[in-house]
Amino acid sequence: MDCIFDEIAAGDEHRAGVWDGVFLLDCDALLDIVCDIGCELLESGAETYRVEESVSRIVRAFGDMEASVFAVPTCVIVSIARTGGGSETKTRRIYARGTNLDRVERLNDLCRRICRGELDIEQARGALEEIRNQDVATPRRRIAGFILIAFAFTLFFGGGLPDALCAAVTGVAAFFICLVMQRLEANAVFVNIVAGGVIMLLAVGAVSAGLAHNIDKIVIGTLMNLVPGVALTNAMRDIMAGDYLAGQTRMTEALLVATAIALGAGAALMLTRLL
Amino acid sequence: MDILFPCLYSFIGCIGYCLSFNIRPRKQMLLLSSAGGALGWCVYLLCGGMKNDIIQSFLAIIVVAVYSEIMARLYKAPATVYLVVGLIPLVPGGGIYYTMEYCINGDMMNFMDTGIHTFGIAGALSIGILLVSGGVRLLNVVGRLRRGDVR
Repeated sequence: MDCIFDEIAAGDEHRAGVWDGVFLLDCDALLDIVCDIGCELLESGAETYRVEESVSRIVRAFGDMEASVFAVPTCVIVSIARTGGGSETKTRRIYARGTNLDRVERLNDLCRRICRGELDIEQARGALEEIRNQDVATPRRRIAGFILIAFAFTLFFGGGLPDALCAAVTGVAAFFICLVMQRLEANAVFVNIVAGGVIMLLAVGAVSAGLAHNIDKIVIGTLMNLVPGVALTNAMRDIMAGDYLAGQTRMTEALLVATAIALGAGAALMLTRLL
Repeated sequence: MDILFPCLYSFIGCIGYCLSFNIRPRKQMLLLSSAGGALGWCVYLLCGGMKNDIIQSFLAIIVVAVYSEIMARLYKAPATVYLVVGLIPLVPGGGIYYTMEYCINGDMMNFMDTGIHTFGIAGALSIGILLVSGGVRLLNVVGRLRRGDVR
C-alpha cells in the first residue's frame, strides 16, 4: 500500500487510475472474504455477535477501514466505507444452518491470526478453503453420536439396561429421519414433529413386544438428540451482547423445536392409545 | 455411587453430543466439554439438599458457564463449544415429555404444574447463561481499560 500512495503523491494520473482499479478489486476481495467467513460462522452455529465482531475486526485488520456489519441468523450484510467516499455493500442470505463447532473453533482461530496480521487476503482465502474442505461430521460419526446420546441419557433419566438398548436402536432411527428430512430440505419444526412421532411409535412397539419396560425413559433419552441446546445458548449470549433481534429469532427457534418434539411424540402417543 | 453414575452417564451422553456437533479431540475440546456436562450434573446433585430443582439448575449452569469461560481463555477456543455441551444434561427433557403426557391424559392440574416447572428450569438456565456472559463482558471491558486500550 505504501508504495502506491507514493505514486499517487507523484501526481501520475494514469497510475492513479490503475491504483483505483486495484483498490476496487481489493475492496471486492475483502468483502468477499469477510462475507464468506461470516456466512461460514453462522452456518456452523456461532453466535450472531461473534459473526459481527469477527467481520468488523477482520476489515479493520486488512484495510484499516470501518465496517458496518449486520447479522441475523438468516442473513449477513457488510458495508465498507471507502476512503475516497462512497461505500461497498454485500449481502448474503443464509438458508441452511447446522452445528459444526469444530469449524467455529477453526474459523475463530483464523480470525485471530488475521487480526495479528499473519495473513494477507490471498492466504486467508486459502486458509478458509482449507477449513471448508476439512472436517464435516461423517454420517458414521453422527450415528455413533446419536446412539451414545440415546443410550446414556436413557440410563441418566433412570431407565434400565434393556430400555437403554432399545433407545440406542430408536436413536439410529432418529438419525435416519433427520438425514432424510434434511435431504428433502424439510423445515426444522416439521423434522422434529416427525422424529418425535416415530420415536414414540418405536418405543411403544418395543415395550408392547416385551423388549423394554419404560416407554417414557426410552423416549426422553432419544429425544435428548433433538433438544435445542445450541439455539437456547446462542439466544442468551446474543441477548447479552445487545443483539436482541438475533436473540429473539433463536429463542423462537428453541421454543418451536421444543414444542414440535412434544407435539410429535404426543400425537403418536394418542394414536397408539386409539388403536 | 448416587452421584458417580449419573455423572458418568451425562459424561458419555456429552461425548455423543460432541460427535454429532463435530467437536474434535483437538485442543482437548472433546474431553473438556464433556467434563463440563458431568461437572454441571455433579453440582446439580450436590445441591440436592435444597429440594428445589430450579435453583439447583441455576447454580449448576452458573458453574458450567464459568467453567466454559475459563476453558475458553485457557485453550483459546470459543466459550460456546464448552457451554453448549455442558448445558445438555441440565435441559429439562423429562419435563417436556411429562408435560406432553399429562396433556394427552387430560390431567390438567399436573399439565399446568409440570409445564410451568419445565419453563422455570429453562428460564433458570437462560438467566444463568445471561449473568455469566454479562459478567465476562464487564471483566473484558475492565481489562481493556486497565491496559489503556480505549476505543
